[in-house]
Amino acid sequence: MARVRVFLAVLFLLFTSSPVHGADNGSDSVLESVPDLEKAMYLNLKSYPCVRLLNLSGEIGCSNPGNDKISAPIVRLKSGTIRLARPSTVLLQEEQMQDFFLRVSGDLEFSKNVAGVLVEPSETVNMSSGFSPADKFPQSAFAPYSNTSYEWNLPGSGIMWNKYDFPVFLLAEESISTLKEIVGERNEASPENVAEFDLVMQTTKLGTHDSETCLKEQTCLPLGGYSVWSSLPPINISSTVTKPIVFAVASFDSASFFRDRSLGADSPISGLIALLTAVDALSHVNHLKNLKKQLVFAVLTGEAWGYLGSRKFLQELDLGSDSIRGLSSSMIEQIVEIGSVGQSLGKGGTLFYAHAGGESSGTKVILKALEDASESLGSDNVKVKKASSMNPGIPPSSLMAFLRKNTSASGIVLGDFDSAFSNKFYHSHLDNACKLKIFFFKRKITKKMFFLHFYQVIFCSTTANIKTSSVAAAAALVARALYIIANGDATLDLMALNDIKVNVSLVEELVGCLVTCEPGLSCELVGRYISPSNGDCPSHYVGVFQDTPSASQKPSYVDDTSRFLWNFLADMTSATRDGTDSCTGDCSNVGDVCIGSETEGGGKCVISTTRYVPAYSTRLKYENNIWHVLPANPSDPMESVDPVWTESYWNTIGLRVYKVESPLYDRLVLAGGVFVTFASYLAVVIARTQLAKVVKRD
Amino acid sequence: MRCRLDSLSLIVCLHLLSIDGDDDKGERSQIGDTMTVAAGVGYVLIALGPALSLFASVIAKKPFLILTLLSSTLFWLISLIILAGAWRAFLPVKSTELWPYSILILTSVGFQEGIRIGFWRLFKKMEDMLNAFADRVSKPRLFLTDKMQLALAGGLGHGLAHAVFFCLSLLTPAFGPATFYVDKCPSIPFFLISAIIALGFVIIHTFSMVIAFNGYTEGKRKDQIFVPFAHLIAALITLINLVPGGCNIGLPLLCIMAGTTLYYSWQLVWRRLTEHQTTRSSD
Repeated sequence: MARVRVFLAVLFLLFTSSPVHGADNGSDSVLESVPDLEKAMYLNLKSYPCVRLLNLSGEIGCSNPGNDKISAPIVRLKSGTIRLARPSTVLLQEEQMQDFFLRVSGDLEFSKNVAGVLVEPSETVNMSSGFSPADKFPQSAFAPYSNTSYEWNLPGSGIMWNKYDFPVFLLAEESISTLKEIVGERNEASPENVAEFDLVMQTTKLGTHDSETCLKEQTCLPLGGYSVWSSLPPINISSTVTKPIVFAVASFDSASFFRDRSLGADSPISGLIALLTAVDALSHVNHLKNLKKQLVFAVLTGEAWGYLGSRKFLQELDLGSDSIRGLSSSMIEQIVEIGSVGQSLGKGGTLFYAHAGGESSGTKVILKALEDASESLGSDNVKVKKASSMNPGIPPSSLMAFLRKNTSASGIVLGDFDSAFSNKFYHSHLDNACKLKIFFFKRKITKKMFFLHFYQVIFCSTTANIKTSSVAAAAALVARALYIIANGDATLDLMALNDIKVNVSLVEELVGCLVTCEPGLSCELVGRYISPSNGDCPSHYVGVFQDTPSASQKPSYVDDTSRFLWNFLADMTSATRDGTDSCTGDCSNVGDVCIGSETEGGGKCVISTTRYVPAYSTRLKYENNIWHVLPANPSDPMESVDPVWTESYWNTIGLRVYKVESPLYDRLVLAGGVFVTFASYLAVVIARTQLAKVVKRD
Repeated sequence: MRCRLDSLSLIVCLHLLSIDGDDDKGERSQIGDTMTVAAGVGYVLIALGPALSLFASVIAKKPFLILTLLSSTLFWLISLIILAGAWRAFLPVKSTELWPYSILILTSVGFQEGIRIGFWRLFKKMEDMLNAFADRVSKPRLFLTDKMQLALAGGLGHGLAHAVFFCLSLLTPAFGPATFYVDKCPSIPFFLISAIIALGFVIIHTFSMVIAFNGYTEGKRKDQIFVPFAHLIAALITLINLVPGGCNIGLPLLCIMAGTTLYYSWQLVWRRLTEHQTTRSSD
C-alpha cells in the first residue's frame, strides 16, 4: 500500500497545473445535481397570463377548464389550418392573434382541440394596421349620447371581452430564444414538446360563474384601487372652499388581453404624464392664491373597467366623506380631462383636439382658454382645434361619468385624435413606449454541432407608441390654459403666463419610470418617494381591491403607481414647512402629510391637500367581511349598466415546457426491462444447472 | 465536488461526485401518468435486471454471500471517496478535449484495480480463517464453487454500487412526464443511455471479479491482465460518448465489452471446474 501511495503522490505532482480551459460551449449547461437535471428537463418560460374576470352576467378571459394542469403538444399555427387533429397547444405569432381568437369564439369544432395558446411576440413589430382587443366603442353603455355604434377604436376586435376555456399566455421577450430552440428542433424522430399550463382559477374550481355568486363564495375580489386628488395651492381644511373649482383630470389605468402587460403608454399614461408635468409647471407660479378659482387635480384609476374611479369619486362627493373634504360638487365649474396626447406630432408642430361635452357656455370658456394658451406658446407651434361636429360627442373618457351624473357640468377632453383614436394599440399589450426589436444570431459553434444556437439581442427601436415632445406640448398647453381659466374674468398677467414653462426632462423621466421596464419603477424619481413592492416593470392594470374600505387616509394595499402619484402630487402642490421634520407616518401638525415615508431616510412633513379616494364599483358594499352587490340605484343611470367586474382567485400560475416520449416508447422500455430481467434469470438458472452437472456433487 | 453531467463518461464524472450529492431536492417534478412511471420502472429493470436475477438465484440463499456483497459495495464506495478527495483540486475539468478525461480514467481505474488486489488479499485471509475454523469444527473446507460464489458476490457488490450510484440516483426525474436528451446524443434518451451503461458495468464488474480472483489464485498472467484492461477499455469507451453522436457507437461497444467479459468468465469457470473435477476424481 505504501508503494501505491508514493506512486500516486508522484503522479499528482505531475499534474499541479490547473486544468485546461477549453472554449466553454455555451449550449451545454453544466448540470451538477438532480435538481439541475430537473431544471434542464422542465423549462419554465417567463410569460404573462390572461386570467378569468367575471361580471354580473358571466365570465371573460381565460382559465384551465378544470382543477388540474393541462399539458398538450405544441403546434405552430400555419395559415391553412382548418382543423387540429388532437388537443394541442397552439403557438401563435402576434399578428395571428386577432383572427385566431375570433375564429375560436365562432368555430366549436376547431376550438375543442385547442388545449392552450402561447403567443410569441413578433421579432419585428410589423402590425401597421394596429391591434386592439378592446371593443370598437369601449364602454359604450356609459356614453351620455345614444349613438353607441360609433367606432372610436377602429382596430378594435373585442377579443378580450370573450370567454375562453383554455389558458392563454404571452411569452416574454426573454423566452423567445428558448422557444425557438425547442420548437425549431422538431423533426419526426424527435420526441414531442409539450407545454404544461397551470392556470387553475378558483371560480372555475368552485363553480361560481358570475360576480354575485363569486363574491358571496369568496372566490374572487372586485376590481379597484385608489385614485388621488390634490389641490394647488393647498386648501385650508378648517373652512370649506368658497372659490369655484377648476378640475383637471387624467386616468392612469389601462387594460389588455394579458393582465400583467397593461402599460397603456398612449392611452392613458401620456395624459397622466402631461397632467403631472402641468402640475409641476404651475407649482412654480407664485400668486395662485390670488386667482379667482381653485385648481384641483385628480388622477383616477379603474376607468377602463366601468369608470370605477370617477363614479366612486362622484359618490364620495355626494356623501361628503372624509376623502374629499374641502371639495364640493356644486363648486366644480370646469372640468379639463387630458386623454391620449402622445401621438400628435405631425407636419409642422403639434395639434390637439378639444372634445367638448356638456353645457356650451362652460365649454366655451375652456375652449377660449385653450386657444389663448396655444397663442401664447407662439413659436412652439402647439395648436388646438375643436373636435369635428360629426362626432356623436365626447370620446370614451372619465368626463362621460361626470356628465351622466350631472348634466349641468361642462368639460373638455383634450386628445391627439379627432374622429377616431390615433392610438392603433388601444388597450393592448403593444401600447408601450419601447417597440422591441429582436434580432437573432444563429451561430454554429463547431462544424460538428447538430443544433444552431440562438442568441438574441433585444433593444428599443425609436418607433414607440408615445412621443415625449407631444406629451410636453400637451402639458404646456394645459398648464397655461388652466392658469387662464383659474384667472377667471380678471385681467390676465401675461408675464406670469409666459413664465409657465414645462420641464421636458421631467416628461422624459416620467416616461422612463411609468411606461418602460428600464429603468421602470426603480428610477430615481420614483425612488425619491416610494420603494416599489412589485418589481421594476410598472403595470397599469387596476388590480383588485384588497382593502377593507375604511375612512382612513392610510390604506394598507395601495399599488406602487398610486403611492407614487400621491407622493408626487403632494410634493408638487406643497407649501413646505420650514425646518422639515423627518416623519414615517403621521405629522405633528394636523393637515400636514408625510411624503416619502417609505424611503430610507424617512419622509418630510409638508402642508398639502392630497388625498386617496378609493375606487371601486358604487354597487358594492363591504359588510361582515364579504362584498355585497347592492341593487342598482334608479337615480344613477350608470349603475344599471355597471358590469361590476371581479377577478378570480388563483393558487399559482405557471407555464413550463418539456419533451415527452410517445406512450409506445414507455411501454417498450418497460417491456425491455422485464425482458432483460427474465432473460438474465433464465441464463443464470441454465448456467447453474450446467455447472452443477460438471461438479456432480453428492 | 462538481462534475459535468452531460459528458457521458459517467465513470470518471461521477467517480468524483460527492456521495450525498442530491439530498437537496428543491423542485419536485410531478409524478406523471402511469405511462411514465412505467418508463421509470423499465429503466430500473434494465440497469438492475441481471443483478436482481443473480441476487435472487445465487446470493440470497447464503447469508455469507450477502455480507460479502455489502462489504464489497462499501469497499468500492470508499475507493471512490479516496479518488474524489485526491482529484478535488483539479475539478471541474472545463475542457472539451478528451485527454484530461483519459488521465482521470487512467488513474481512477488504476487505483481501483490496485484496490482489487487488496480486496483479494483480504479474501485470502478470510478464506484461511474460515478453513481453520472449519477444521476445528470438523466441517468441510471451502469448495471451489464456494470461492467462486464469493468472487461473484464481491463483483456484484461493485456492480450494484456502480449502478445505484451512477444510474439510479439520477432516475427520479424519469418517473415524471418529461424526458431528456443530451445535446451530444440526440437519438437516445439520457435515462436509457444511463441504464444501458449501468447494465454494461454491472456485468463487467461482477464477472471481472470472478476472473480476477481465479487469476490471482492460480497465478495465471493472462487472467490477471485481462481484468484491468477490460475495465480500462470499457471506461475509455465511455469517452466516445463525449463526441457528438458518439453514443451510437459507444453504447454497442460497451455492450460488446460486457459480453466479452461474460464469455471469458464463463470459459474460465467452465475450464476451472472441469479441471478441478478431473483432478478430484483422479484422487
